[in-house]
Amino acid sequence: MNTLRVAWRNLWRNRRRTLVTLAAVSVCTLILTVIYCLMEGLMVGAVANTTNLSLGEVQVYAKGYRHDRSFYKALKDPGAILAAASAAGVGAAPRSYSFGLAALGAKSSGARLWGIDPAAERAAFDLYRHVAQGRFLGDRPEKAVVLGYKLAKSLEARVGSTLVVVVQAADGSLGNDLFKVVGILKSCGAAIDRNAALVHRADFAELLVSGGRIHEVALNSRGRMPLEKLRALAAAAAPGQEVTTWRVIMPAASDMLNVWDSMMWLFGLVFILAAALGLMNTMLMATFERIREFGIIRALGATTWRILADVTGEAMILSLLGTGLGALLGLAVSQYLVVHGLDMSSLAGSYSVGGLTFDPVWRATLSLRSFLEPVLLMFGVCLLASIYPAILAARLDPVRAINRV
Amino acid sequence: MQSKSKLAGALLGAALWLAAAAPAAGAAGLTPRQILDHVDDLFRGKSSQGLMTMTVVTKHWQRTLTMQWWSKGKDRSLVRILAPKKEAGTATLRVGNNVWNYLPKVKRVIKLPSSMMSGSWMGSHFTNDDLVKESRMADDYTFKITFQGVRDGREIIEITCRPKPDAAVVWGQVRVVVQAGDYLPLFMRYFDEDLHPARTMYFTNVGDLGGRRLPRTMKMVPQDKPGEYTLVTYQKMRFDLELADSVFSLRSLRD
Repeated sequence: MNTLRVAWRNLWRNRRRTLVTLAAVSVCTLILTVIYCLMEGLMVGAVANTTNLSLGEVQVYAKGYRHDRSFYKALKDPGAILAAASAAGVGAAPRSYSFGLAALGAKSSGARLWGIDPAAERAAFDLYRHVAQGRFLGDRPEKAVVLGYKLAKSLEARVGSTLVVVVQAADGSLGNDLFKVVGILKSCGAAIDRNAALVHRADFAELLVSGGRIHEVALNSRGRMPLEKLRALAAAAAPGQEVTTWRVIMPAASDMLNVWDSMMWLFGLVFILAAALGLMNTMLMATFERIREFGIIRALGATTWRILADVTGEAMILSLLGTGLGALLGLAVSQYLVVHGLDMSSLAGSYSVGGLTFDPVWRATLSLRSFLEPVLLMFGVCLLASIYPAILAARLDPVRAINRV
Repeated sequence: MQSKSKLAGALLGAALWLAAAAPAAGAAGLTPRQILDHVDDLFRGKSSQGLMTMTVVTKHWQRTLTMQWWSKGKDRSLVRILAPKKEAGTATLRVGNNVWNYLPKVKRVIKLPSSMMSGSWMGSHFTNDDLVKESRMADDYTFKITFQGVRDGREIIEITCRPKPDAAVVWGQVRVVVQAGDYLPLFMRYFDEDLHPARTMYFTNVGDLGGRRLPRTMKMVPQDKPGEYTLVTYQKMRFDLELADSVFSLRSLRD
């Protein structure tokens, strides 16, 4: 306790220098935490936008389905996967897919039919909220279809239009029926925009004589379950079938996030080094100023440890105050950005890069990873930076130190 | 010495050239171009009408359709399904490069988008493009006789066709094998752009069809789907009958 009191007094012997160092450390901490929280927000948001819409964090397919999308490669026991997901409190949606032809008047276009369970989609995913016109599919089959916006545009379809849908049914016959357009989606990424035609799974089964074939179960915990754990859960429920994660489905996006992660580390390192070097400079100056003093207390019987403790004590107080103050400010600014975000809509609306969609309002995310980690790291490195000046002081020869002018 | 060997070389070259030219000259009058045109024209006339069955066998299902068709000139045809009952009345009309389908269940005519022209026609191993193809092999391809003689106990002529650079053709090569003598096709093998075999159409069951001697059965076998094929058998056929233009209208498609 005595050591700390001495350290505290020593610190304020050069008030201006201490304040400047404090400011440097806290500003670095502030910037570091705010930027980490913002970047974390960007990444978490982009992943959530991607997975929550319809992709899911984990997907299950029959072996080989992803390779050729053959209608006949259906999941063996989709019920077991759905049950396992439900038992773990994870959202899951079964889907059937088929390519077909959608026609309206003189217009026609290839389409990818999604046979979905609207109730399950609502519970696990956000696609139902991305309806630009009309509404999403109801829970009961009603020969209704919801279209991707580009598909709707190329068919010149409106809410209320009646589409002819033609497919090659599972028995080889030419499945065809009329579907009423009840909704048109907002922009949801190229895959959905261009050719998605969503229909109720019961209507799908009837049109395709599909016997309820399910091609995909998408699982989504909305970030509550670690990806690997969710993957293991799905794999256990679907032996012999292919379990993928969004990182596999969207390798470009996954790589991009990994690169960002590394870049953030580099960026953080620069800030932490700058703060630590500033602090080291202060401690070196303080040590050199007091060479005679150190010589005298050594001569009076102070141990090496005592001097080490004195100097590192000062550094500890300085780092603690600096990072503490910076962290408090950072917390406040980050919290503001969590709530209000940065409105980027004047620069770009909702935009996507590498398959990731970013919100027009850039919000921060406060988490252990994005806040506590950089703060603790900053504190630790600053402490380390004081060891060199402390060792210098501790190794002084008392006689020569006293005689130094 | 040197001039002698030059002369020998020239003589040898001339002999080889003669040998290479000999099969073409020996094709009993028909040039490769005439053979290709002959194959192209087998089923063509000013007009035609007929009845055929198409059996499609895939890994997952098998079915047989009975169809009636009408055609006029090179670019107009109408095909209507008579059986099975579920699809009876379904019809395909082609005028030029446009293809329309009529679906009786929903009572709608839909026009096939150009993006689906390479897709399957009625679930068979024929594409919509096969249906609308009207240009002659001899116009789209450069060709030469690559084999002439006895193979598998039959006397045949093999013509290998390579697409001209500007031809709108999806194949990298087509090999047409006809029977020597009557030039009736035995099979045509289609190769993709990497020159791997993609599909083969076999012609069998030669007999009388509408007064012509023709192969009455065609079997399309895709290379990449073992066990699958489409078999088309002509039951009846008439050539050069009077057909009104109105037969090939969207109105008659619905009837």
